[in-house]
Amino acid sequence: MDTLYWLLAANAVVWIGFGAYLAFLAGRERALALRLARWERSARG
Amino acid sequence: MPKLLALAGGAALAGCQWLVWCYAPEEATLGLMQKIFYVHLPLAWWALISFFVVFLGSLAVLARRSEAADRLCAAAAEVGVLFSGLTLLTGMIWARRSWGVWWTWDPRLSTALVMWFIYAAYLLLRGLDMAPERRRTVCAVVGVAAFLDVPLVFVSARIWRSIHPAVFASRGGGLEPEMKLTAVACVAAMGLFWAALVWLRKRQLDLAARLEAADADED
Repeated sequence: MDTLYWLLAANAVVWIGFGAYLAFLAGRERALALRLARWERSARG
Repeated sequence: MPKLLALAGGAALAGCQWLVWCYAPEEATLGLMQKIFYVHLPLAWWALISFFVVFLGSLAVLARRSEAADRLCAAAAEVGVLFSGLTLLTGMIWARRSWGVWWTWDPRLSTALVMWFIYAAYLLLRGLDMAPERRRTVCAVVGVAAFLDVPLVFVSARIWRSIHPAVFASRGGGLEPEMKLTAVACVAAMGLFWAALVWLRKRQLDLAARLEAADADED
């Protein structure tokens, strides 16, 4: 396997890692937004 | 603001690709494979900085019982584990191509792996079901003690016989000026992205804490 293949693999690993963490953050953001909306509804009565 | 910072970091990292592939010359001995360095080094440095932030935040928790510092520790530890994990993975790919093995029990690699396990365990500890005050104190003590391994990772390649190159071993790191400029730009771009991730996560943890406090008040 040539060098370029290994280089692309290394870069792919990094961007997949970043992507996975950003997806995790987006999921948490969505969950927090839902929780906040629920809290606001209950606070209003 | 953190989202803008993340976008700026992402754009800067994309811009650095031009420096890596078009501007920086090919290294004479390692050839094209040396270009992993421009992603491996920034990941490693910002992982170490993350753990330094955890150390400072833990001291603030112990000294002032600061809840905000505890949440900063949580955010920095998560990003640090991500960055150090990616450092290990990119290093393994580089090692497989350059040394012919995926892994070797070299001092730098071993101390870095131990560091990753320590902070992964720290994150598991944070997830345990404990009284908040007790968890803050226990995690702060672990956050301070865990940092003992971090300087060891940094100096391991110099104080023990290591096949891993020490970037600061010789003056100027032995890099060509174009390579040095590219490395500095990549470290700066990764720094923007790192700051955005820590900021975003810290903001989420702050909001979650406020909602929990509001729920507790209602109960």
